[in-house]
Amino acid sequence: MTEVSPGGPSPPGSFSVAVGQSVRTLPWWRTPTARRYLFGYTLLAPAVLYVGLLVGLPFVFSLYLAMSDASVSSPVARFVGIDNFMSALENATFYTALRNTVVFTVGAGILKGLLGTSLAFLLLQPFKGRKVVRALIVIPFTLPIAVSVLGWKWMFDSQFSVINWALSRLGLIGSYGSPDWPVWLGQPGLALLSVMFVNVWRGFPFSAIVLLAGLTSVPPEVLDAAKVDGASFMQRFRKVIVPMIAPILFVGSAFDTVFTLSDLSIVYLLTNGGPDGATEILPTLAYNTGIRGGALGRGAAISLFLFPLLLPAIILLLRTLRRRQY
Amino acid sequence: MSHERLAETHPTTLSRRSFLTTAGGAVAGLTLADMLTARQAPAQIKGTNLRLLIWSHYVPAYDVWFDKFAKEWGDKNGVKVRVDHMPHLELPARYAAEFAAGAGHDLMYFAGQILTGQYYRNLVDVSDLAEGLGKKYGGWLDAAKSAAQVSGQWYAVPDFFISIPVLWRKDLFASVGMGEPKTWEDLRKAAGQLKAKGHPTGMQFSHCNDANHNWRALMYCYGVKETDPTGQNITIDSKEMREALKFAKAMYDEGMTPEVFSWDDASDNRFLASGVASWIHDAISAFHSTRLTNPKVFEQTFVVPEVAGPGGTWNVGEPNVWAIWKFSKNVPAAKEFIQGLADSQKDAMQASLGYNMPFLRGQYTKPMPYLGNDTKLGKLQDQEKITAFLGFPGPMTPPAQEVVTTFIIPDMFTRVARGGAIEDTMKWGVGEIRRIYAKHKAS
Repeated sequence: MTEVSPGGPSPPGSFSVAVGQSVRTLPWWRTPTARRYLFGYTLLAPAVLYVGLLVGLPFVFSLYLAMSDASVSSPVARFVGIDNFMSALENATFYTALRNTVVFTVGAGILKGLLGTSLAFLLLQPFKGRKVVRALIVIPFTLPIAVSVLGWKWMFDSQFSVINWALSRLGLIGSYGSPDWPVWLGQPGLALLSVMFVNVWRGFPFSAIVLLAGLTSVPPEVLDAAKVDGASFMQRFRKVIVPMIAPILFVGSAFDTVFTLSDLSIVYLLTNGGPDGATEILPTLAYNTGIRGGALGRGAAISLFLFPLLLPAIILLLRTLRRRQY
Repeated sequence: MSHERLAETHPTTLSRRSFLTTAGGAVAGLTLADMLTARQAPAQIKGTNLRLLIWSHYVPAYDVWFDKFAKEWGDKNGVKVRVDHMPHLELPARYAAEFAAGAGHDLMYFAGQILTGQYYRNLVDVSDLAEGLGKKYGGWLDAAKSAAQVSGQWYAVPDFFISIPVLWRKDLFASVGMGEPKTWEDLRKAAGQLKAKGHPTGMQFSHCNDANHNWRALMYCYGVKETDPTGQNITIDSKEMREALKFAKAMYDEGMTPEVFSWDDASDNRFLASGVASWIHDAISAFHSTRLTNPKVFEQTFVVPEVAGPGGTWNVGEPNVWAIWKFSKNVPAAKEFIQGLADSQKDAMQASLGYNMPFLRGQYTKPMPYLGNDTKLGKLQDQEKITAFLGFPGPMTPPAQEVVTTFIIPDMFTRVARGGAIEDTMKWGVGEIRRIYAKHKAS
């Protein structure tokens, strides 16, 4: 029961409670609503603090660097506005890197999705040693990236490539030195395909495991019911399985997109962006400009171009996910 | 000996005061003399710690020697020395992190990428030490200054440089009626003839260190100057650069295969050791690895310090220098360590199998360690006369380093080799270099 307190209307955010004849005014922070809010925000605070410190601060720091003339050796930087972004846009290599980044991320994402899905369905089938195979399948993902990429570097070697030697023995290509001997990391199209392939090799077991977790959560009765209703495999997949595991799919896709877009190691170790920018992606360009070249401001600006690429994709994924939850 | 001279000039008539003054001076003089001869470090560094960061050398035996040297030096001088090795490509990121944190190693090493010009405001001025070494060992090579000086002051002390000569197959050259190559034209001609026999040549057109060195060696031999001697103004947009690109295109078409577009720093080593290469342009690690892996090929592999071009003979080396952070907790020990290492140059060069080329003129006295005892490598004993570094004839400034780390020069050669028009390539490459220099000037 709310009453107007004596002496005029209550200040905003406070209210009066009649107790018998006496009226007591509570300060706003002691009201039940305020307490409820306070409790909610207190519970939320650790997560906000965590995200703020680990994501927000580095992001703001990146913005600060990108808008300054900071170098690796200069602790005090000057504000230069959007100069560094303009400098990136004036750099012809930047456009090559941007194009390669999109091709690399989208191409690898599609391949990982296809291979991951196929593998997940295969691993779902009952067969002898399934548990062992399921454990072995994640090895590429668990190996230290430097070790596995160096292994691939040898396999892609222009002279001693085991892939080429196998293809040559099978009569599919000529011998070493012949014009059809592929130079995996030297021919522009092949080089980009090769680095993408290594990313897919490393990442698709992760996709498969994520999907497998989703698939095992689909109740068999639902699938059986769909079968009884005459749904084909593809219909069951599209109309039953995908909608049911959509949240897992979206979160997995979001993770994979972020990891692929910001993947520096594979390209850096295999080609370092060469030859002539054929495999240059934004992370390698940013690293070579900002850290190795010392131009921290320009490096940060290049890396921030990943943000507008990533933001719409993540917003789309999360919004779709949210809609499905309601 | 000092004692004897003092005794002769000052007989028993000394007063107590003059005796103490003279004796004190004699003791001080003796201590200094002993320190200089026996390299006894000053007492102030005893009981201290020294942390140093160095690259992982291409010759593993050198790392073994270096770690042993560091330990023995530490034991002798009462300093606890900790040596950290790291691949050279990872060093720049490490230094950026140490600088940002204001803490890290007392003594650090610039290898591959020379960051003296980048960090000099935060490095200890080591002019006293560098000039002392210069006086003691016959003076520094001119090239040393480009890697270690900024505005005439020494902010780093050169340790050694890596020479990148021509390694050629005598038997293969003889098979096409050729002897030791003297010019780039000789190399081109040999590669063209030998490619047809299954023995092409190769120089990296990719994004690796060797690509940056090798193509610059050709450029400088063609008379290309990347900047003026101050390092401030770009002079690469020249007739000489166009000629160098034209020559490289011809040499690629006639004597190489597309695999050079994928090569890393070690690919040419393997190419030589496999017996396929007619010649390569690489450090002598390729020579040593071939000795171990293919003795027959090694027998026929010979060394030429560098071949000549229309603009002269220039070999592009890779310098390695020591520097000390201003925030180092042990500057005296760091300086003493550098001094001790410089005094042990002969042992170091021997341990590196002749790889570590000295920066000090006096250390070129023949026979040089290791090189002087090897009939093939002996030719490298005059390397100091033809050595230049990246950015030549300017110093290794921050913009020059950024041009190196973004691989603009190798990319220019790649574009032309793949059929790009020279003028378009020049427009792109020079434009990129100008943009980088302009940004550094503005900041």
